[in-house]
Amino acid sequence: MREENGLVVYDVSEFIQYLNDTLSAIVDPARVAVEGEVSSFNISQGKWVRFDLKDADGLMNCFLTTYQLRVDLEDGMKVRVYGTPKIYPKYGKLSITVSRIELVGEGAQRRAYELMKKRLFEEGLFAPERKRGIPRFPRRIGLIASRESAACGDFLRILGNRWSGVVVDLAHVQVQGEPAAPQIVAAFRAVNARAEPPDVIVLTRGGGSLEDLAAFNDERVARAIFGSRVPVVVGVGHERDETIADFVADLRASTPTNAAELVVPDRREIVYAIDSSVSRLSKTMDSRIAQTDSELDRSVSRLETHIRRAVHRIQAAIAGFRGAFREFAANAVSREKEVRVMTTRLESGSGRWLRKIDERIAVATRVLATLDPKAVLRRGYSIVTDRQGRVVREAAGVDIGAALNIQLHRGTLTAEVLGADKSQGTLPI
Amino acid sequence: MAMKTDKKLDFGEAFAELETITDWFDKGEIDLEEGLAKFERGLELAAKLKARLKTVENKVEEIKVKFSDLIEDDDNKGDSDRV
Repeated sequence: MREENGLVVYDVSEFIQYLNDTLSAIVDPARVAVEGEVSSFNISQGKWVRFDLKDADGLMNCFLTTYQLRVDLEDGMKVRVYGTPKIYPKYGKLSITVSRIELVGEGAQRRAYELMKKRLFEEGLFAPERKRGIPRFPRRIGLIASRESAACGDFLRILGNRWSGVVVDLAHVQVQGEPAAPQIVAAFRAVNARAEPPDVIVLTRGGGSLEDLAAFNDERVARAIFGSRVPVVVGVGHERDETIADFVADLRASTPTNAAELVVPDRREIVYAIDSSVSRLSKTMDSRIAQTDSELDRSVSRLETHIRRAVHRIQAAIAGFRGAFREFAANAVSREKEVRVMTTRLESGSGRWLRKIDERIAVATRVLATLDPKAVLRRGYSIVTDRQGRVVREAAGVDIGAALNIQLHRGTLTAEVLGADKSQGTLPI
Repeated sequence: MAMKTDKKLDFGEAFAELETITDWFDKGEIDLEEGLAKFERGLELAAKLKARLKTVENKVEEIKVKFSDLIEDDDNKGDSDRV
């Protein structure tokens, strides 16, 4: 810049710098906003955001980074832009360097919500497979809520009604308005960083309009929940309220009360479960003992049966033996008698028999003596026999000329048959 | 008193052990001697759990969150990103 005859002369870049200084001096981005409709919305290289803000008769070029873009925009949305107007030296083009964008009206807010939901869903922040389980009996619970809120009171009251022995680390935050989102993010960071981190974190607040719930639809909060090492339960408002935070949460509670119901069991249910466990144990044990008892009884009775049977067998054997022995003894006695009788009979009978035999022998001897043919021969009779030694009793059958032997009282003659008178039966020799 | 009981007994672990024992009994066919030991352990756990349910209340401790750090942090990032 230089002065020539009262004239101020700028180089181009100097002039642009001068204008930019002037613009930033007159437009306070904290107090001035430009309202219009978004058009030609564009993100390049995933980092630079450009769009035109326009109304019926005018158009302003807007520029910011994706980091500053905290709402999802699309053409046609009505927004309020906060920032500094600036000329870009290279192109000489005026655009607003945006520091903050506010959505105007319920329609734009709903639309931005839908867009963010879709984007985060596609990125996988709501993926069911990344949801973590909540321990059944948490010992320590991180509670991110507003200390004074009804939601906080409801949560602690129901928690106390249901369960006990829990330490609650309360991180007090604003849950509404501009500071809410960064405070919630800081609370997540603080709770996660504790030396003894809780078993579960509960983020809760009462219901409200879409604007009231803005922090729970804030991408920073969504990412804080997603990035928490401790599983997160989100319970916002009434059952009909849905927020991005709900979708990212590991477990979604419909209300603050419901959040308490989800993180701790009901004492009565657990008492019941313990009692029923004990009664099941006792019942099973009782029936097992009864079973053993009856098994024992059965064993004993089987043993008894066996022993009784064995005893019976032995008794029967003894009885059988006794009978047999008795019979044997009786037999032996009777046999002895028999023998004795027989002996007696033998002894008494034998003398008689001998005498009789002697007599009979004497008689027989006498008879035999009378029958001796030799005695007859002595009286003059002879005995004629043929050559074969057969006694000849009749003439018939003896041939003429046959040789015969004639035994006399003393000596023997051999004679020849000379004739025969077979009728008279005498042989003329 | 409350803290003392807390240190002695991990409620979740004790309850899980009781459940395991109960499941074991529910399976039927049990060995009498092993059953008696488990039965006694189950009763002991049940008594401890119930005692623990009676004696303790919840405790709320407020923790400090350094909001200033975060907000500054946030702004710093914003500045560095600004063109």
